[in-house]
Amino acid sequence: MPLLTLEGLGKRYRQGEVEVTALHDVNLSVEEGEFAALVGPSGSGKTTLLNIIGGLDSPSSGRVHLNGIDITALSESELSDFRLLQLGFIFQAYNLVPVLSALENVELVMVMQGRHLHERRERAEHYLQLVGLESMMHRRPAALSGGQQQRVAVARALAAGPRLVLADEPTANLDSENATALLDIMHRLSHEEKTTFIFSTHDPRVMERAERIITLRDGVVEGDERIEQHRHGQ
Amino acid sequence: MLLFIAWRNIWRNPVRSLLTIAALGGGVVMVILYAAFLEGMTRQMVQYATEISTGQMQLHRQSFVDDQDLYATLPWHYIERIERRLPEVVAAPRLYAAGLASAGDNSSGVMIKAIDPLRERRVTKMLDHLRSGEARFDAVSSNEGVERRYNVVIGTQMARNMHLNIGDELVLITQAADGSIGNALFRIGGVLRPVEPNFDRMGVLMSIEAYQQLMYLEEGFHELALWTQDLTALEQPQQPQQHVASLLTELHAEQPLDELGGAAMVRNWRQLTPAIADMLELSKAMVIIVGFIIVGLASLGMLNTMLMAVHERTHEFGILLSIGMSRWWLLLMVLFESLFLALISAVIGSIAGTFVARYFEQYGIDFSGSMPDGYDWGGIVFEPVMRGHFEPQHLLSSSLLMITIAMLASLIPSWRTVRMKPAEVLR
Ligand SMILES: Nc1ncnc2c1ncn2[C@@H]1O[C@H](COP(=O)(O)OP(=O)(O)O)[C@@H](O)[C@H]1O
Ligand SMILES: [Mg+2]
Repeated sequence: MPLLTLEGLGKRYRQGEVEVTALHDVNLSVEEGEFAALVGPSGSGKTTLLNIIGGLDSPSSGRVHLNGIDITALSESELSDFRLLQLGFIFQAYNLVPVLSALENVELVMVMQGRHLHERRERAEHYLQLVGLESMMHRRPAALSGGQQQRVAVARALAAGPRLVLADEPTANLDSENATALLDIMHRLSHEEKTTFIFSTHDPRVMERAERIITLRDGVVEGDERIEQHRHGQ
Repeated sequence: MLLFIAWRNIWRNPVRSLLTIAALGGGVVMVILYAAFLEGMTRQMVQYATEISTGQMQLHRQSFVDDQDLYATLPWHYIERIERRLPEVVAAPRLYAAGLASAGDNSSGVMIKAIDPLRERRVTKMLDHLRSGEARFDAVSSNEGVERRYNVVIGTQMARNMHLNIGDELVLITQAADGSIGNALFRIGGVLRPVEPNFDRMGVLMSIEAYQQLMYLEEGFHELALWTQDLTALEQPQQPQQHVASLLTELHAEQPLDELGGAAMVRNWRQLTPAIADMLELSKAMVIIVGFIIVGLASLGMLNTMLMAVHERTHEFGILLSIGMSRWWLLLMVLFESLFLALISAVIGSIAGTFVARYFEQYGIDFSGSMPDGYDWGGIVFEPVMRGHFEPQHLLSSSLLMITIAMLASLIPSWRTVRMKPAEVLR
C-alpha cells in the first residue's frame, strides 16, 4: 500500500466574486521512501497541494490518505497531533523560533511529543551532526546563515521521526551552491532514515536531485516521471 | 519549555517590554501611594474625629441633641456610675450655652463650652492644641484686687476678630438658667488652635465652676464624652456602646429623668460625625475605583504590547502550528508572556511603592505654606501635612488587582492565536 494517496483532489478559493481553481482532480500516490519534487511555475498550486497533504488546509473535494488514515476526516486537534507525530515541515524561510538556539529548536518538537529530556537531547545533537552543524548547535537563528537555518529545519523535521517530510520551496531563498548542498543533505537523509520527502521547487538545478518529478500546471498534474539517480552518500 | 520561550520572548524587544513594565509597575506604585494617602487621611480623620474633641462616644439627652435645650441635663452621679461599671472607660462632662461677648468696641455671639480640665485631658487632646497662652481656667484677682475673674480659652478666629490677646478682658452676657441675665468679666488665658471650625469662630472654653456661677445651672451636664482604652472600640464602637446603653436603662429605672429633657442616649463617633464615617466608607470604595482606573489605563500598555507581539509573530506561530504545536500551547505561551510581564511589574511596583509610600509616611506632603492652619473637612480641622500610611497589605492587593486586569487585557491578543489559520498566515 502506498504511503500517500490523493484521490480526485480539488481546491477552489473564493476571492470576492471570482472563484479561483487552485487544484483540479489531482490523483497521485507516493510510496514509502520516495524523494519526490513538485515542480511548476508560480501559482500552479504547489503550496496549496502541500498544505492540504499536511492538513493545514482542507480540500474542496477529494480525499487524502496518509499511512491508511483519511486526514480530511480528522478534527482540528487530531490534525495537530497527526502533524506532530507523522509529519515534518520545512518552509521557504524563517522556520525557526528566534529566541531558541538551534539545539532547542530541534528539541522543541520532541518536547511537544513528550519525549524525555535525555532522549531528545541525544537525538537533537545527532541530527544536527548529520546536517553538519555540530559546532553551531548553541547559536540562535540570527547567528546562522540562511543555508544553515534551513539545515536546522531539516534536522528538526527528521529528529521528530516523521513518516513524511513536506518541504515548500526550501531552497527559494538560497543561492545555488547552498541550494544544491541542502538538497544533497535532504537526499542523503531520505535514504539513510528511510523517510519520504516531497518538496516543491521551480529551480531546475534542484529538480535534478529528485528521483521523481511531478509537474503541476494551473492546478492540474501535467507530468509525473521517475528518474534514475545515483545515490548520494552511499 | 513554554515558560522558557515565553520568558525569552519578553526580552526580544526589551525597550517595549521595559516600557510595559514601567507602565504596569508605575500603576501599582500609584495605587499603593493612593491607598497609603487615603489610609493616612482616614486614620488622621478617625484620630481627629475622636481624640481632639469628640471622644469615642457621647452621652446626651434627646432634647439637648434636638434643640440645644439648656435644661436637658444628665445628673452628675452618672459619671461615677459609668466609670464604676466600665472600668476601661474614662468620662469628661461638658456644658454649653449661647451668649454675647464684648471687649472694647467689639462684640460677637459666642458659644460657651464648659469642661472639667482634668477629666477633659484624660478623654481628649483638645487642651494640647493651644496656640498661645495656657490652658488655665482658674480664677485670678484683677490688678485692683477687687473682682475675681476666671480664665477662659478662646478660638483663634475669635481672638483675631475681636482683637483679643492673652491677659485681655472679655465680658460675657447670657441668659442664665433662672431666666436672669448672667453677666461676668473673664480673662483670656489661652488661644486654641483651630480644631473645630465652629469653636474657632465663636468658642469660649471655661471651667464648669465658672459656668455654674455664670449660668446658675448646677443640676447636671449636657454632654459626656467617653473614651475607652480598648482600641478595637474605634473600629467596632457598637460593643462598648451597647454596655453604656444598657447601663443608661438601669440608671433610668432607678431614678427616672424628667420628661421634658427626653431620654438619655449614647452615640458613637460614627454617629456623631457621620461625614467622617461616610468618608471612611467612601474612601475604601475610592481605592478600588481609582485602582481600577489607574491599573486599567496601565493595562492598555499591556494590551498594546501583546497585540504587537502577537502580530509580529504570526508567521512564527504559523510555523509552530504546522510542526504540531496545539493552539492551547500557543495561547498559554502568550499568556505566560503576559504573566511574566505582570509579575515583574508587580515585584518592581511593590518595591518602588514601598519606598515611595514609606517616604510619604515619614515626611508627608506639607501644605503649611498655603494653609498654615490646616483645612477643614466635615467639621474637623486637619493638619496641613498630608501623611501617607503604609499598609503591607496594599502591596498584595494592588499587585493582584494589576495582575488580574493585565491578564484580562492580554486575553484579547492571545485569543488571536486560537483563531489563527496556519495556511493563511504562512503565505
Ligand atoms: N488564500 C487564497 N485565496 C485565494 N486564492 C488563493 C489563495 N491561496 C492561493 N490562491 C491561488 O491559488 C493558486 C495556487 O497558489 P499556490 O498554491 O500558492 O501556488 P504555488 O505555490 O505553486 O505558487 C494561485 O492562483 C493563487 O492565487
Ligand atoms: Mg508556493
